[in-house]
This record gives sequence, C-alpha cells and structure tokens, in this order.
Amino acid sequence: MDGKDIRKIVVACDAGMGSSVMLASSLRKELRKAGVTVEHTPVNSIPGDADIVVCHAGLGARARNSAPDKPVITFQVFLGDPAVARLVKAVKDGGEIGA
Amino acid sequence: MPDLLARSAVRLDAAAADRDDAVRQCGRALVAAGAAEPGYVDAMLARERTVSTYVGEGVAIPHGTLAGKELVHHDALCVLRFPGGVDWNGERVALCVGIAARGDGHVRILAELAQILLDPGRARRLRETADADEVIRLLRPDGEEIAP
Repeated sequence: MDGKDIRKIVVACDAGMGSSVMLASSLRKELRKAGVTVEHTPVNSIPGDADIVVCHAGLGARARNSAPDKPVITFQVFLGDPAVARLVKAVKDGGEIGA
Repeated sequence: MPDLLARSAVRLDAAAADRDDAVRQCGRALVAAGAAEPGYVDAMLARERTVSTYVGEGVAIPHGTLAGKELVHHDALCVLRFPGGVDWNGERVALCVGIAARGDGHVRILAELAQILLDPGRARRLRETADADEVIRLLRPDGEEIAP
C-alpha cells in the first residue's frame, strides 16, 4: 500500500482511554493538511473503512485478529517511534508502507 | 458536571515504592474523586501489567481496561507527581496522569498533554512545577499557555 492512498488511520487501544487518544490527536494535527482522517477506537471494534491500523506492539496480535484484512503498524513508544515517523512520512510524501 | 481535573486530584509530593504502588495511588485518587468504583484500581493494574502506559518524557498515564470501563462513573483525571521518581519497567516516571473515562470528556486534555510532551520545555515544567494551579493551567485545553 502506498502512503498517498491512505485516507483513514485508526489508532487502536484496549480501552480507547489513554495513549491511543494521545497518539491520534497528535497524528490528526500532523496530517490535517494531508486530508487524512485519524480516529481512535478499541482494538475489538476497528471500523471497516480504516485503511491502516496503528497500535501498541503489545496489542498487535489482537489488532490483526480483529482486522485481518488491514495493514497493522505497531509502535513501542508514544513519542518519536520510528514506525510512526515512517508512516507519517509515507502519508505526506508517498511511498510504500511496510506493514 | 464535576471538574475533569479537580485541584484536589492534583498531588505534587507523592512517593511510591514501585510502579504498582503508583498506579494504586492514582486509582485511589480517582475513586476518592467519585469518578470510579474501588474495583477500577484493579482494572488499572491489569492494564499496566499487559501494556505499559508510559508515554515518554517521564510521564505515564495509568488507566483501566475496556472491561474496567463499567466501573467508571464519570470522566476524570488526576495528576500525581513523584519527585523521587518511580521505576517503570526501566523508565523513570516523575509524573502520572491517571485516567477514568467512559466518554470522550478527557480527550481534549489528553490532546493537550500530547502537545506538552512533544515540547521538551513544557514537559519539563509539567514535571517540575511545585504549583498545582500551574499543572491545571498547563493541561487546560485552549488555555493561555503558548509555547515560546
């Protein structure tokens, strides 16, 4: 999948209470100009129109089970995670996304 | 509608033996604020043991699991500062923002926290200030706080 084709990113979390909310808000701010929608949802209810799922590495398996047809990108740290930085760059500049 | 972050839920001189102790103290502060049932504390510990809520810059945001949401009465936050630091799976945590949420009331404050953590100067002030009102001011969405 090419970053330019992404219209909707879902940040998944167990409860949708904590870091997913923070990551979604900072991604939303960063990608506003790129016209990309960013939502946060519990990992068990990833919406069907998501183009890509971002979640903490500890939830990766649950996200892949919940949305088997979607690329899942996992991060270890909320601040400055290289996987998230690569995703942002691919969305802004285009380029293949390694899921 | 109660305050999302009450001044009485901000404690700047907390001390904790370890991570679980810090999470329990956050949970008890939320329960004391009337935001959750006592059982929510266990939901917070369960979450912490599965996936750490450390978010960087010496800050962790303990909160419950999806199942624990049923024990939340209303959206609320607490801030506990640990001047002596708390070992958090190898990271050093100086500040916890505890969260009880069943709706989206806390989202704007967390968005503000995200912006603070991306700005090392403001993150440092949040960790180091001895003024509870400044903590509330820093976290207030769309407040007067503008990064220099």
